[in-house]
Amino acid sequence: MNIMNILIYGFVNSLLLVLMALGFALAYSVSRVPNFTHGALYVLAGYLTWIFVNRLGLNYGLSIILSIAVITGIGWLVYQVAVIRVRGMPVSEIIVTFAIGIAILEFLRWLGLRGATYVLPVFYMKTINIFGVPVDSQRIAAVIIAALIVLALWLFTHCTKMGLSLRGIAQNERAALMLGIDSDRAATLALSLGSALVAVAGITIIPMGNVNVPAGYDVLVFAIAVCICGGLGSWTGTILAAFVIGFAQTIVAYLIAPHLVMVVALAAVILILIFKPSGLFGRQKELEERV
Amino acid sequence: MKKLFLLILTVLTTIANVQGLEAQPIIMGVATDTKILDGAATIRGLTLAVEEINAAGGVNVAGKKRPFKLEVMDTRDCDAGVPVSEALLVVEKVILEKGADFIIGPSRSEAALAALGVISKYKKIYLSTCGGLSPKFHTTIAENYDKYKYAFRITGESGYMAKEAMDLLTHLTSQYGLNRMFIIVQDVAFARAGGEIIGESLKKKGWEILGYQRYPTGSTDFSAALLKAKDAGAQVLFIMGDMPELSILINQWYDMKIPALPFGNYLGPAMEPKFWEVTKGRAAYTIVNVVNAGNAPSNATPLTMKFYRAYQKRWGTEPEGYGAASGYMAPYVLKDAIERAGTLDPDSLVSALEKTDLVGVYGRVRFDPKSHQIVPSLDPKEGAVGTIFQWQDGKRVVVYPPKIAMGEIKFPPWMSDYWKIKKK
Repeated sequence: MNIMNILIYGFVNSLLLVLMALGFALAYSVSRVPNFTHGALYVLAGYLTWIFVNRLGLNYGLSIILSIAVITGIGWLVYQVAVIRVRGMPVSEIIVTFAIGIAILEFLRWLGLRGATYVLPVFYMKTINIFGVPVDSQRIAAVIIAALIVLALWLFTHCTKMGLSLRGIAQNERAALMLGIDSDRAATLALSLGSALVAVAGITIIPMGNVNVPAGYDVLVFAIAVCICGGLGSWTGTILAAFVIGFAQTIVAYLIAPHLVMVVALAAVILILIFKPSGLFGRQKELEERV
Repeated sequence: MKKLFLLILTVLTTIANVQGLEAQPIIMGVATDTKILDGAATIRGLTLAVEEINAAGGVNVAGKKRPFKLEVMDTRDCDAGVPVSEALLVVEKVILEKGADFIIGPSRSEAALAALGVISKYKKIYLSTCGGLSPKFHTTIAENYDKYKYAFRITGESGYMAKEAMDLLTHLTSQYGLNRMFIIVQDVAFARAGGEIIGESLKKKGWEILGYQRYPTGSTDFSAALLKAKDAGAQVLFIMGDMPELSILINQWYDMKIPALPFGNYLGPAMEPKFWEVTKGRAAYTIVNVVNAGNAPSNATPLTMKFYRAYQKRWGTEPEGYGAASGYMAPYVLKDAIERAGTLDPDSLVSALEKTDLVGVYGRVRFDPKSHQIVPSLDPKEGAVGTIFQWQDGKRVVVYPPKIAMGEIKFPPWMSDYWKIKKK
């Protein structure tokens, strides 16, 4: 077995997981709302882009921008219309967001979203050999986009007033409130931004395959698994966990059996909950647990 | 005057009642996964046939003309994570709530097999038109005939499809010297069975089976299997599965220029007429088994293209995937049996169906009297013929069986160059 295959596809797979999970992690870290519409918004972003391109005949680039804008708006609405009423009640937050997510996915299913027909164009059709390993250009594009998003997010949260306010809320909500940061406004922004990120993930990853409803559930499971392993609320932990799970999945696929790949993420969650319940970087929760 | 009016009213009411009785529909309960291609195609095939039969006057049941009526319920049995028990509840619901006289069963083999028990309990004639390809379906009927005799399969099955594949692959060996295979299947019963059967059978024929990889439903990256196949020196990729994500496998195969011919003995997304368009031509050279003739253009029987064109006219698309032709044939086979039996009594219909012998879209339709599996053949005059096509220049060109073939197999240039393929 060529070790380069594992290294390159492990790296690609890890960054795809980063793309899938970052929106969920951002929304949770700021608002403490587990946004279970995450997977549905991933599929919806792909479907809307498909509609804009194939039914309305819009330019692909414009369709992408419109889809991201619509999904961002839906994230804003989810918080302002539904979540705000149950904020602070974790079980209700899960029920509300999960219900909205299921409603979106089942509506898409009802519309007839099936088969391999709903396909988004790849950004650029070419195969590149990296150290002798062929990788298609869409995966390379996904890696670049994931890296750019991580960088942009870091700059946003460290160099802008709005980003600093989000970090403030994430680190200590009461202290941030005392300093005049509006918690609801920050949470709305976080859910909208998280939704925008999952829309970007959908539009980047879906062209490798097709728009299909079950992917919504899979993406949600992967995002939750990565966030739990990384430590809920920790962005650094999310990225690190994505690499751990991503490489573990690739190693299992190459050296053991591909049909066990789905088990890896769930097994990682179980192991983390047994040995380090707060996750790899879940410091805040760790302190609470000690107390 | 008043008496005359009452008399006319009475006569009209009587006529209306008689017509009402005559028009009592025969309910065909369709409990299948409506959101997968095969399920949707089978519903379209069924609808087309039912409309044709009803337009021609309906079914003659002991001298009374009765129309067919479809009652469709979604089992979602092909969705990952939906338990078989959910599908069984839908089968039961279509019997109890919709009053189905006949059942068109679930798509996934696991659900189709489990549905045999429900069918036996309610004594309903059950036709399997799409999915349920596992050989266990008809062997279970044969082993427990008295219990499961109400079930019939009107399509091919994994075992026979493997024989067809074997025949075609043996042809590739004799003509081009290919004998190295890598097997990639979706982790579901029919695909696992198909992969195992083909692997074992080809080993006996001197083929090298270089790997066997299963992928769970919903997988989105097949690079591991493809690179393993390339490293091992595979010449044929044997693929089996119905999940739409298998289009990613074909895209990756094309993008990576893997020097092996993709042969989907059941490859859900590649069956779709739009597959060429959605893959931007990366479907080229992919070989696909669509189970029955009629699901791709050929001249298997005089009815094949007649059905093909009628389907196109009715639905605005060519017959899609597997399930279209068999869905279309099911009402005609039932009509034939009902008219011969003169009743809807299930036990009488079992005998009538066992004596079925008519020419359909995919050849002569007969059932094995013990296993109730449609009798397969390579000749449409003898039995139901399958169809294997290859994507060539945007078209689905039938390459097997020889009696209905419309063209020859072609190889991707990067494979021809790599293996120096020449016809012997």
